[in-house]
Amino acid sequence: MAELPEIFRVMAYVGGIMAFVGLNAAFLVWMERKVAGHIQRRIGPKEVGPFGILQSLADGIKLMSKQLVVPAKADPILYRVAPALTMITAVMVFVVIPFGPALVARDINIGLLLIFAIASVNVLALLIGGWGSNNKYSVISATRAVSQNVAYEVPMLITVVTMVMIVGSMNLNEIVGQQGNLLQWYIFPWNGSILLPVAFVIFFICSLAETNRAPFDLGEAESELVAGFHTEYGGMGFGLFFLGEYGHVFVGCALASILFLGGWQCPFGWMPGVHWMMIKTYLLIFVVMWIRWTYPRTTLYGLLNLSWKVMVPFSLAVLLVTAAMLKVF
Amino acid sequence: MTPLFSPLFTTEGLAGVVFFGFILLIILGALVATNAVNLIRAVCGLALCLVGVAGVYYFLGSPFLALMQLLIYAGAVCIAIVFAVMLAEPHGIKRLEQKHPLAGLGAFGAAALLTWGLAALAFRTTWPEAAARVNSGALEDVGRGMMTTFLVSFELISLILLVAIIGSLVLARRGRR
Amino acid sequence: MSGYFKEIFDGGKSLLVGLGITFKQMIQPVVTERYPRTAPKMPPRYRGHIDLVRDEEGNNKCIACGMCQRNCPTGCITIKGEKPEGAKKKVLTFYRLDFTTCSLCGICVESCPTDALEFSKEYNLAGYSAGDFVFDLLKRCEERRR
Repeated sequence: MAELPEIFRVMAYVGGIMAFVGLNAAFLVWMERKVAGHIQRRIGPKEVGPFGILQSLADGIKLMSKQLVVPAKADPILYRVAPALTMITAVMVFVVIPFGPALVARDINIGLLLIFAIASVNVLALLIGGWGSNNKYSVISATRAVSQNVAYEVPMLITVVTMVMIVGSMNLNEIVGQQGNLLQWYIFPWNGSILLPVAFVIFFICSLAETNRAPFDLGEAESELVAGFHTEYGGMGFGLFFLGEYGHVFVGCALASILFLGGWQCPFGWMPGVHWMMIKTYLLIFVVMWIRWTYPRTTLYGLLNLSWKVMVPFSLAVLLVTAAMLKVF
Repeated sequence: MTPLFSPLFTTEGLAGVVFFGFILLIILGALVATNAVNLIRAVCGLALCLVGVAGVYYFLGSPFLALMQLLIYAGAVCIAIVFAVMLAEPHGIKRLEQKHPLAGLGAFGAAALLTWGLAALAFRTTWPEAAARVNSGALEDVGRGMMTTFLVSFELISLILLVAIIGSLVLARRGRR
Repeated sequence: MSGYFKEIFDGGKSLLVGLGITFKQMIQPVVTERYPRTAPKMPPRYRGHIDLVRDEEGNNKCIACGMCQRNCPTGCITIKGEKPEGAKKKVLTFYRLDFTTCSLCGICVESCPTDALEFSKEYNLAGYSAGDFVFDLLKRCEERRR
């Protein structure tokens, strides 16, 4: 492979990541509907393909064959840019995710920072999508999504700083490399700080809020805002928002498994590789879906209170305790 | 493949194309930011411009600075501006009117002065070599620099931020009583 | 201060209890039926439109007395019977139910002296015209014999 020009490697990874984002979203839509079905003691999709697995493919074809209508009073440029932007950010964060020991598109030193830098641009996409549609529900939803994202970015970044302090690196592959077996996972309190499980819970809740997943999906509260910032979008415009959302859900869960659950490392020390990464990430995604179909949506004030009054103090406490423990031991 | 285009398929050739792409992005974003009649579009142009600047930082071998630029300016500052605009003017944004016939001329003069100053400064400074490799540990260098050479400015900046936070808290509390 | 921690602890515990309940529901068998694939079994007191009861030989038990027709509050039943040569009892030759006006009151079933009527378990009724809901019960009875 070494003699091939760089551009072929780049193209292979771009194609691979795009395909993965699409297929992952299709699979997650199917999985979401199956989990929802079984929690409500229904069957879920059943008719298209074995166990209905081709259902989301059929949905995708339907979305793609629809016309993209731009509302008459909408901002034509921003309206079109927003779904593309949310998809671009979703694809770009995959660049540094280490799926396996060698399977990472760009193994850069500050991969962790890159994910948060690009994910923060995603909020801008929701904002201009909501504003560009020129619809009151969309604007309300966009402001909600932004205040929520700003509120939860603080505890999330503090938790990540805690993890960086313990690991001493922002390279995701290096973080995974330090968690060789089950006992070395950073979710356990004996690996640097006694508050690590708390840090995991904070990180997980914040990633739920950052990806606008239930019970924090105030941005698309159907009961009051029709469909939130994508009210005016139909066809593939809506489809891109959807793909982007599931891409971000995957990245959030992949990041949680990299930081706390050892990424592609095997808990028992044999055969580390892509499959362990996939198992851990999809288990976390299952938990995300399980949470979605268990709890009702919170109110906006409850959501912001949870962030500023519980998450921020707790994450600061975790940071201080970790710093003290790292200095003492 | 003609020899004219073959340099494009090396790493350096590609990097050059990407560099000029970012420069184009900066200019385009700046033009949108200054010429848009619509305030939200102007902010989007600003975001585009800042993304271009981040790209140039990355190209010059400082990925940490590039990502911080993206995280803080494109991700936080632009969103704060758009958020403020949305909260402040619910009934649409009015078109800005030109106040004085000489305003454009004055703005041009000020911009020329600023450009000249920056250019003079840039040409006189002896720049250090751009870090050769992307993975050359720019993060450690930044951290060491902040804690040694630039410690006083670092602490002063944090003091300013503290003052800003306390000031906004005082302003917010005043409305409650 | 202790109230703050207690609230978080109790809240977290109740959230975990909720997750436990949904997980238990998830691993239990589904309760819905795949309707077009599997037909549901109707409960014994389900009232579909009326049908003629068949005896052991497959014949109807109607004696064409006309009680159902006379008692029907909406007049949706029309029957005809005749006495064949040499027979002692009347035989049913025509039984029409206009289901569009039937209110499923069941007086016809109650009043039948020979218990020749019953409620069918038919629930799959859809049609394009009112004529689709006018049933010839005698013909249905013959068809069921085959």
